[in-house]
Amino acid sequence: MSPLTITTRDAAPGPVLEITGDLDYMTAPELRTAVAGLSLTAGHLLVLDLAALEFCDSSGISALLAARNVVMEHDCGLALAAVPANTARILSIVGLDQVFTLHADVSAATARTSARH
Amino acid sequence: MMCRTDQVPEPGEGQDVDATDAVFTSLLEDSAEELYEEAPCGYVSTLMDGTIAKINATLLAWLGLERSEVVGRKRFADLLTVGGRLYHETHFAPMLQMQGAVSGIAMDIKTAAGRMPVLVTSKVKTTEEGEPLLIRTTVFDARDRRAYESELLRRRTVAEEARRQAEADRARLQEALAVLQQNLLPAELPTIPGLEAGSYYHTASPDLLGGDFYDLFPLETGRWAFFLGDVCGKGPQAAAVTSLTRYTLRAAALHNPDPVTVLTTLNTVLHERYTSGDPRYCTAIYGVLDLTGEHVGVHLASGGHPPALIQRTDGSADYLPTPGGMLIGVLPQAHFSATRTDLLPGETLLLYTDGLTEARTGPQRERYGDDALREFTAARPGHGPQALIAALTGLLASFGTGLDDDTALLALGVPAPLPTTVSES
Repeated sequence: MSPLTITTRDAAPGPVLEITGDLDYMTAPELRTAVAGLSLTAGHLLVLDLAALEFCDSSGISALLAARNVVMEHDCGLALAAVPANTARILSIVGLDQVFTLHADVSAATARTSARH
Repeated sequence: MMCRTDQVPEPGEGQDVDATDAVFTSLLEDSAEELYEEAPCGYVSTLMDGTIAKINATLLAWLGLERSEVVGRKRFADLLTVGGRLYHETHFAPMLQMQGAVSGIAMDIKTAAGRMPVLVTSKVKTTEEGEPLLIRTTVFDARDRRAYESELLRRRTVAEEARRQAEADRARLQEALAVLQQNLLPAELPTIPGLEAGSYYHTASPDLLGGDFYDLFPLETGRWAFFLGDVCGKGPQAAAVTSLTRYTLRAAALHNPDPVTVLTTLNTVLHERYTSGDPRYCTAIYGVLDLTGEHVGVHLASGGHPPALIQRTDGSADYLPTPGGMLIGVLPQAHFSATRTDLLPGETLLLYTDGLTEARTGPQRERYGDDALREFTAARPGHGPQALIAALTGLLASFGTGLDDDTALLALGVPAPLPTTVSES
């Protein structure tokens, strides 16, 4: 089990959160806090970079959904970039691959000109 | 004073020392008698039979007695309370006789104001030939010490009482949690003619209500509904969602048992209830068993739940995919997909929560996984749902601390026909 680290940087369409480690029952609140602390303005695109995400359980999925609720309240968009295979499989099992916008990597996600979901 | 050795004595220094000694001498005049009578402890000397021969003023003052009432008239034991006298007789005096001295024994003496705790030390004075002459005894005031000890004891009692109360509170809370937990699951599975059912529930923590649930209940004649699911999260909030989910599913099934319709109803209920703030959702498989036909018909739908597994009679096991079924309660409009299959005699349908497949195993702490579960199930002989549940219970136990989540199992199957030929024996 790995600890969770979240680093934030700014890209053209909006903030990018790089999520490293395990996103689970213990660490999911950290993602919620990080998303709540963002200053989002309408039309921004929040990108969650999951390239280094090692594990994501139902609490992690829940935190992703909470992030989606937050950005939608701000009239912003959310994109998941570089979703690891096992998490992509879980998202597909729970049907959330139809809900989240998925991209191969961050550059593909931030290249989108329209941030609207 | 230490550096004086190298100094030349100043004139008159010897006179100063002499003066100090004179002051001490005057203070300590008639020192022996004064010290004996007014010592900060009681002194008493007795004959070997305990008769008091000499006693000091301090002890007399404590006792509230005149010297004339005591000397030659009372024994040492007469100064003690009843309990003290008993202890003196049974322990103190024999020890003194054997050892010639006894030190620091706690006893109570009788005083005008009642009893007074003291510490008694006695020593036998002997002649040069070793013949015992008399007993010298000191009596120390132990009132403050006894009060201090009582206070310590009282505090310990208070602390123990607090601990007992905390343990009782904890036990009561656990009992309440256990009752709530039981309310989330059927007390026992119903007996269904022509069908065998087995279930298991593993609680990861007695303090945290689990979010896993399952049920099996009758619809109209020959048809039964079942479900198994997992509410996101743990604790009271998750249990509240679990309760809502369970009763919504049961009510919806009685209204219209179609699997997609039932899950859609649940989705609407959960989404409306938890539309703002923290998302609360669940995954579930809901289905209907039809026992009216030749085979047992299974019609089920999944909302974001790991696929059901069917243990075949030919030593294989297949997942029953329900692609695209979404988490329940996340979106106002959710898509669920249904599937149908038949259970042949000897085949078992297994529903499980991801506590099983996400358990960490082996030295690398890897997730157990779907493939391992399929292989495990395929490798078991098709002895029916209860045998499969027993095998999986053993598997879960073997995970040890790797199983860190609640896990629910529900197995449904058609008993294999009795063998028509008697096996060789």
